[in-house]
Amino acid sequence: MTSDNPIPPTVQIQLQSALDKLLLILPPSPKADLPNDWPILEHALKTFIKTKEGSWQPEIPVHLVVEGRLLDVRQLQAIAEILESVHLNLCWVQTTRRQTAIAAVTLGYSVDQSPPIPTLLIPDPPPPLAPPLYLTSPVRSGTEIRHPGNIILVGDVNPGGNLIANGDILIWGTLRGTAHAGAEGNQDAIIMILKLGASQLRIADLVARVSPEAADQGEPEVAYITADGIRLTSARSFKKIK
Amino acid sequence: MTRIIVITSGKGGVGKTTTTANLGASLARLGKKVALIDADFGLRNLDLLLGLEQRIVYTAIDVLSGDCTIDKALVKDKRLPNLVLLPAAQNRSKDAINAEQMQSLVDQLAKKFDYVIIDCPAGIESGFRNAVIPAKEAIIVTTPEMSAVRDADRVIGLLEAENIDRISVIINRLRPEMIQLNQMISVEDILELLAIPLLGIVPDDQKIIISTNKGEPLVLEEKLSIPGLAFQNISRRLEGQDIPFLDFMAAHNSLLNRIRRRLLGPL
Repeated sequence: MTSDNPIPPTVQIQLQSALDKLLLILPPSPKADLPNDWPILEHALKTFIKTKEGSWQPEIPVHLVVEGRLLDVRQLQAIAEILESVHLNLCWVQTTRRQTAIAAVTLGYSVDQSPPIPTLLIPDPPPPLAPPLYLTSPVRSGTEIRHPGNIILVGDVNPGGNLIANGDILIWGTLRGTAHAGAEGNQDAIIMILKLGASQLRIADLVARVSPEAADQGEPEVAYITADGIRLTSARSFKKIK
Repeated sequence: MTRIIVITSGKGGVGKTTTTANLGASLARLGKKVALIDADFGLRNLDLLLGLEQRIVYTAIDVLSGDCTIDKALVKDKRLPNLVLLPAAQNRSKDAINAEQMQSLVDQLAKKFDYVIIDCPAGIESGFRNAVIPAKEAIIVTTPEMSAVRDADRVIGLLEAENIDRISVIINRLRPEMIQLNQMISVEDILELLAIPLLGIVPDDQKIIISTNKGEPLVLEEKLSIPGLAFQNISRRLEGQDIPFLDFMAAHNSLLNRIRRRLLGPL
């Protein structure tokens, strides 16, 4: 299994916060005639958990939801180790498969052997962040570009132009229009701008205006959210703040 | 291969019709066969600027409804045998014609002319779309004002989506003294924003108003004025000649002007 394989779109791992625990939901098993997907799943889980790092309270217990998937002792241990690498503890295993339940008990985890949850109750997995959109022509007035991922623009955003990304935005040019990062609510999204003109910045739900006086400080800037709202800092200083 | 060019801007009053009239006349003087189409149905002006208002018998609407052939409707200019005008109707509005009809008019003219130049109405609605759809090239006319440049940018975005190959810009009504005082956006700033090649610069000049009122295109004068020369240069550049741009800032900074400014204050 090479480490540069992207997560296949069919492997949908979910991490959900419940009141006092985290639910780690693994996708259902493939059909019997398909090769065992454990190596793919293991790799996907490692990558997935890294991207989600920091989005939970420390020391929160994890419930592993595997439904009818068959997991043996070795595989459960691997999952536990992956969770430990990000300071999470596997406590419960929820499964409908008897052998998986036995393996979990063997390892000392609590088991919830419930009947299968009707699929209607399982919400749609959150869409994975799409690969970045790479643009090389200017965003002209009246043009709106939306992307469910990060956006890289080699060019300008003209006044009246609009860039909207679920992830970060990197403008290798001049921003004179509007840039909206974290459009679905991600407050960690940032906007990186080579040359900032009079414009409007939006991150998640917040809006900030860049006046002509504040614009063009002569160096690349980064916009990000703090407790006081959207802030701008020079690209050099941004690394230190992070 | 006939060149089909639309002269457009988005913003009204920046000089599209003046440009169409003068470019058409200048190309005709260079020996090219030029057909001008006034696509501003309801608010036509091209006939006025060419001094052909009283010579209109039939308009594009009559051609489309079959009341006459296109040759009958074309107004010929006595001063310029190579130049014809297909007038718009003044008693209708923009929805009197649709894109297919405009395309058919252009197709008929393309058979016999080297250049078909379409004078586009202001705006980005149906009048604009009808004028743009038959075109292969576009010339954007803008003035050095933020509102005009903003509209030009919007229009360029729309044109790029229509697969128009060649889009260039003419900056009209330039005032070097205002640029010098930083009161007007400069040519460089306009080009940085619009990111398309510069076709020409025409300075603001009272002579333009006089010429449009009289119906005599500037390029027809014996001794060309500076704006007349600018339009002539533009027509030569369209023909592929490499003509350097007139340096209005240098002219503005000529010794006489500097002395005058020192003594009398800015013009």
